[in-house]
Amino acid sequence: MKDTDSFNATLAAATCALLGSSVATPVVAAEEAGRWSFDSTLLYYGESDDRVSDVSAAVSALRNFGDDRKLSATLTADTLTGASPSGAIALDRPQTFTSPSGRAAYTTSAGDVPLDDTFLDTRFALNASWTQPLARLYMFSAGFGFSTEYDYTHLGANLSLARDFNKRNTTVSAGVAYSQDDIDPVGGRPLPLSQMLDVGDNSNKRDGSESKDVLDLLLGFTQVLNRTTVLRVNYSYSDSSGYLNDPYKLLSVVDPVTGDTLTRTPGGLGPDGVYLFESRPDTRTKQSLYTEVKHSFGAPVMHFAYRYMTDDWGIDSHTGEVRLRWPLGDGYIEPQLRYYTQSAADFYHASLVAGTAVPRYASADFRLGDFDATTVGIKYGHDTSSGNEWSIRAEYYQQNGSVPREQIVGNQANREQYPDLSAVIVQFGYRFKL
Amino acid sequence: MKKLVLCLPLLALAGCAAVQPWERDVLARPDMSLDNAPLDAAIDDHIYFSKEASSGGRGFGGGGCGCN
Amino acid sequence: MKASCAATLTRDADHWTGRFVAMASPCEILIEEAPASLAQEILDAVSSEAWRIERKYSRYRGDSMVHRINERAGQETVVDDECANLLDFAATLTRLSEGAFDITSGVLRKAWTFDGGEQVPSQAQIDALLEQVGWHKVAWRRPALALRAGMQIDLGGIGKEYAVDCAADLVQSIAPGLSCLINFGGDVAVRNPRGDRKPWRVGIESCARSGTAQRVVQLSRGALATSGDSRRFVFRGGHRYSHILDARTGWPVRNAPHSITVAADTCTQAGTITTLAMLRGEDAERMLRSSGMQYWLQ
Repeated sequence: MKDTDSFNATLAAATCALLGSSVATPVVAAEEAGRWSFDSTLLYYGESDDRVSDVSAAVSALRNFGDDRKLSATLTADTLTGASPSGAIALDRPQTFTSPSGRAAYTTSAGDVPLDDTFLDTRFALNASWTQPLARLYMFSAGFGFSTEYDYTHLGANLSLARDFNKRNTTVSAGVAYSQDDIDPVGGRPLPLSQMLDVGDNSNKRDGSESKDVLDLLLGFTQVLNRTTVLRVNYSYSDSSGYLNDPYKLLSVVDPVTGDTLTRTPGGLGPDGVYLFESRPDTRTKQSLYTEVKHSFGAPVMHFAYRYMTDDWGIDSHTGEVRLRWPLGDGYIEPQLRYYTQSAADFYHASLVAGTAVPRYASADFRLGDFDATTVGIKYGHDTSSGNEWSIRAEYYQQNGSVPREQIVGNQANREQYPDLSAVIVQFGYRFKL
Repeated sequence: MKKLVLCLPLLALAGCAAVQPWERDVLARPDMSLDNAPLDAAIDDHIYFSKEASSGGRGFGGGGCGCN
Repeated sequence: MKASCAATLTRDADHWTGRFVAMASPCEILIEEAPASLAQEILDAVSSEAWRIERKYSRYRGDSMVHRINERAGQETVVDDECANLLDFAATLTRLSEGAFDITSGVLRKAWTFDGGEQVPSQAQIDALLEQVGWHKVAWRRPALALRAGMQIDLGGIGKEYAVDCAADLVQSIAPGLSCLINFGGDVAVRNPRGDRKPWRVGIESCARSGTAQRVVQLSRGALATSGDSRRFVFRGGHRYSHILDARTGWPVRNAPHSITVAADTCTQAGTITTLAMLRGEDAERMLRSSGMQYWLQ
């Protein structure tokens, strides 16, 4: 300690002699910005027509240790209520269905698209990751994820390695992720393509949980194009296997002439039509190519992204997204636009026609259908005097789909075949550093 | 499933001059970072994963849920 | 090589930015909210001061004091007060570093080319050059300096930080109390905090990854200096030899950190500590920790 004191004193004296005592030695006030940074958000998602609504809250913490080592963790909680289309078609008469638990029945009014029985589900998720340099130009990252809700549990891990080239203007990365999910449907797992039975009859349901494994591979490439532009291109490959069905989704079996659902006389309380539970393949392989560019026009920044996805279920999709951030006073305003289009899965059927052979795989889930979706939104962020930021984002999401002409039978042509989805999303955010 | 044809843009790089460390003033701004809003991205990914048949692309997402 | 003598002033959201090139580095001065004419006056003064110091102490310029001293090696040269102060300061650093830092070590450049390759000179080459290295071989009796024949001095190791402090003094005399951040190629000084009490944000360069933000230091007052080797080194036998040479052995320092940034009251102090710490090689962190100064390593 004495050595250091005399060292410091000598240096201070020497500096004083060099610079002259005009330097009224200001005491240095310097600190690394943001050892701990937090990002928190509260979100409301609401669909029109009393369908799904969701409130979710998330907090994410990032700790910067020296020399590029980082720890980050995100905790999310969300509460989902509402119902989404079950896959059965609308009719000119009311329809009754057995609820997923098998203990009650619910009815859909004439002319309405049948929705699942209303549910309430709360989900908690935790994701964490650790990043550190491995050697001079190499960066390594490892992470895990866990989530739980009443009928679903997810556990996953990922690893990736990145290497810089070309004065750190180019980065190439490779990563792998593996996850195992457990599904324990309410009321048990229905046998695929079995018929919906009366309340209390669980003969077509099996107890116990099912599992689904997903393996993801990611190859990434980031390139600084010039002083104001950066580009990223990612190729990913994903392989899922196991239980990929949605245990609550159905298909209506319809008359080949009228196109209306075949009727059925329930034993006690139960469905008054013939409905079959869906069946999807037990494997799915997806590939996607994602590219994004960020470009600065002086102070405003533009972000553009495009993704192409294709899989072995016959689904191809294109996603294009553009955002423009304009500085505004102590903050910024950022309008955004997203356009998405997908083609239907090979086994997507609006309904099953009686008398024809039942296909091996069939699903009427609109999320596997042919549709376009557009999102328009705007975000406003404001920097507070203490260097923190709060923000508000509002978006409107609209999905419009269609059923292939050859799948429309009889009276179905007079009704809305593919219910459009529209949703409003409002999000508040607050970022702060400690 | 259609095969994906990869066109790596590496060849185009021959024309890119390396940006020197002292020229990285713009690129170093937080709003120029490709991952400057990870929570927004995670939330968007989750919403679209539960309403559409495609997912991810940007990186390893937060993981699965029962919503799809 | 003539430095570009153009200084540009631009207006940013809440401050002015003046840019110019001096001492082979991009230089800038950020001036908080002030009238345009004052900002221009400050920029002119700071750029002139930087060019004055470059002209006077650059090893390369035929009209510089250092060049004159080196040309007259073997004879005595009388220097002015400012130069004498710098020489006294350099002598103190040589003493504090026990000879590792030495402004006469520049001749070793003839043996070492730090291009990331494996080329190392022979011990014989180094020994031959070490004959002309050593402050104790210099006759320094203020205001007269006499180098032995073949010796050279190089003030590059302390010149830039000194220039930053001189520029900061100048700004103080033109606009006392105004907050300005002076940045000559990574050596930074702020004398007064900003009026709105926000700190200036300084990004620490060199290990920035493409597409992500760098480490940021919030500087309200004080100085930062950075010493780094990212692109100039030699790899040999599994060791990375930085371009900073130990004047006692003629060999570069081994396994020093990639880059050290130190915060201190003045830029000269900050720069001195980064240099002396680098010269400790593997012991750099220990020295920095015991100095009590704030530092960041990469």
